[in-house]
Amino acid sequence: MGGRATAVCCAFIFVLLANAASAQQQKIGDPPEASNMRLVGTSDLQARSAYQPTIHHQGDRWIAYIGHHGGTDDIPDPVNPMTGKPEPNGTSIVDVTDPAHPKYLRHIPGQEGKYESGGAQMVRICDGKDLPKGDRNAVYMLRTFGSEAHEIWNVADPANPVLVTRIGGLKDTHKNFWECDTGIAFLVSGAPDWRTRRMTQIYDLSDPAHPVKIRDFGLPGQEPGATGAVPTELHGPISTGPKGNRVYFGYGTDKGGFLQIVDRDKLLNGPKEPTPDNLKFPEIARMPLSAMNGAHTVFPMPGMPIAEFAHDKDGKSRDIVMIVDEAIQNECGEARQMVWFADVTTEARPMLISSYTVPEAWGAFCERGGRFGSHSSNESMAPVYYKRLAFIAFFNAGVRALDIRDPYHPKEVGYFIPSITAATDKRCVTIDGKDRCKVAIQTNNVETDARGYIYAVDRANTGLHILELTGAARAAAGLQ
Amino acid sequence: MTRPWPVIAAMFLALAGLSAVAGYEMAPPRPAQWREIAWPFPRDGWPAGRAFHCGVAECGADVEVYLRPKLGFCNCDSGVADDDEVDRVSDVDMISPRFVPLKAGDVVDIAEMRGRIRAYDLDGKRTAVGIAVSHRCDLMAVAAQGKGDTANVQREVLALLGSQQIVKWMTAAVQGR
Repeated sequence: MGGRATAVCCAFIFVLLANAASAQQQKIGDPPEASNMRLVGTSDLQARSAYQPTIHHQGDRWIAYIGHHGGTDDIPDPVNPMTGKPEPNGTSIVDVTDPAHPKYLRHIPGQEGKYESGGAQMVRICDGKDLPKGDRNAVYMLRTFGSEAHEIWNVADPANPVLVTRIGGLKDTHKNFWECDTGIAFLVSGAPDWRTRRMTQIYDLSDPAHPVKIRDFGLPGQEPGATGAVPTELHGPISTGPKGNRVYFGYGTDKGGFLQIVDRDKLLNGPKEPTPDNLKFPEIARMPLSAMNGAHTVFPMPGMPIAEFAHDKDGKSRDIVMIVDEAIQNECGEARQMVWFADVTTEARPMLISSYTVPEAWGAFCERGGRFGSHSSNESMAPVYYKRLAFIAFFNAGVRALDIRDPYHPKEVGYFIPSITAATDKRCVTIDGKDRCKVAIQTNNVETDARGYIYAVDRANTGLHILELTGAARAAAGLQ
Repeated sequence: MTRPWPVIAAMFLALAGLSAVAGYEMAPPRPAQWREIAWPFPRDGWPAGRAFHCGVAECGADVEVYLRPKLGFCNCDSGVADDDEVDRVSDVDMISPRFVPLKAGDVVDIAEMRGRIRAYDLDGKRTAVGIAVSHRCDLMAVAAQGKGDTANVQREVLALLGSQQIVKWMTAAVQGR
């Protein structure tokens, strides 16, 4: 009798737990999950897997340029409805002047290939009038072309882009940075003779039609001819330009990451031969993360006033770098990838001061399918959010809005998890030799514009979600 | 006058001893007897794997092998494309951060996974072997070290990796079956 009652109880609890898990599973038609964020508009981006969005104020228009990964096993080259032809994923150009009604303008095909092996994942924009030797009427788009090249296009007419130049012969590419006021570009490349897939090639792109190579840069041990251990590969740099004179490099993806702080002037004007000594010369400091975390985005926020320290005789303001790891395994198959804040005020001794992750239990995110963990942050330094709010792409946990005014105690103030659609691609794990697949949103990247709109794009082909803040999050940003 | 038989007996014993030593040295090593040992390295970004030791008597030299899966650490399409990839991922740097390749590596197939194998000199006395093979976006990383002939170390390591037990484990670890 007792055994039977126990069995009934166990079965009841099992059913409850199973229901709780399945209740978190996204279904087509479910509403988005949100707090203090609201959906304004969407674009399906032709159901292409999306990576980096960059939003540019172009004349009186706002244009979103969105890089894509390669296609999927099921659909390697999605059909472009505007041409009726299958095209390898490349760059989407979308007019978001009216964010409630985004208008898809053009798809520029990228490199043939699936997933990470194709497409044109990264994109940066500079106006010709800002570049020292640019065509004043041009708007230049720097994009990667799969793993083999960087390209510059003139997108002054965003519906009719024109290829300007190409830097090819590479074995990989990734998240570039381009200073629009100087033209200096830090291109994440795989130079054929280097021992790593991703290092930095620095170019003067002040005249985009005539790129001038300045130097190759990486970590000692990565250079041609070196032997022994090979340091972690680069993910991406962000420069503070000649005024800040610093370049922050993030190395690693989900393992062995670190932040490297580099003197920009020494990097550009120091000895350029890739010897170990010359590679060390511009480095100010290197701060390792845990071996279980990488550094996808390293976002500098120098001179942040810290309210808590306002009455202290020293250290009232701090130089902060936000470090975002990248989750790469589906269904929590790795250590948690999250967000870290480093105080780099004393540059030679940078120190982690705080961290942030979405609590897994809030949404049973490890069971929803796909990746759970951080991937990237917004990189816009427009005053609307800079040093106040940060937005983190957290894969199946959507976009998370953080109040970072006190970076020693970052606080989540809003989130938005988009609904899935018929276009949302599955994500699989292997169990007993067989694929077990689930469908979940995979918010990959997020960017903001100077108006305060937030642009989230999906790695699992769900498209672009344009958001705005509401309630307490809007108040934290100081928006009306 | 001393009796001759103790001298003769001593000579026989000495000869027998010498023959035994010579026979031991000239005989081929016995089939490798690999003994699983504790993972000898500190925690890093990847979970610990499995480690094995084989002694002089069985392998002709002391050889240790360390193997572990690295899930999501490989180019999903091109796999282990070149020797630089083996330098980066095979875990030889756990044995010593200073390793110098002896020559270009070779293609290798292990447990139905293709990749590359490369031999290294560690300090002039020890040889290391690095192997990386892949399945989709995942790797099996193997590092080995031993004294003596490089070809012998490599042969013994490949023999271990080709054993039914290890193939089964690697297949389960990387391919989930």
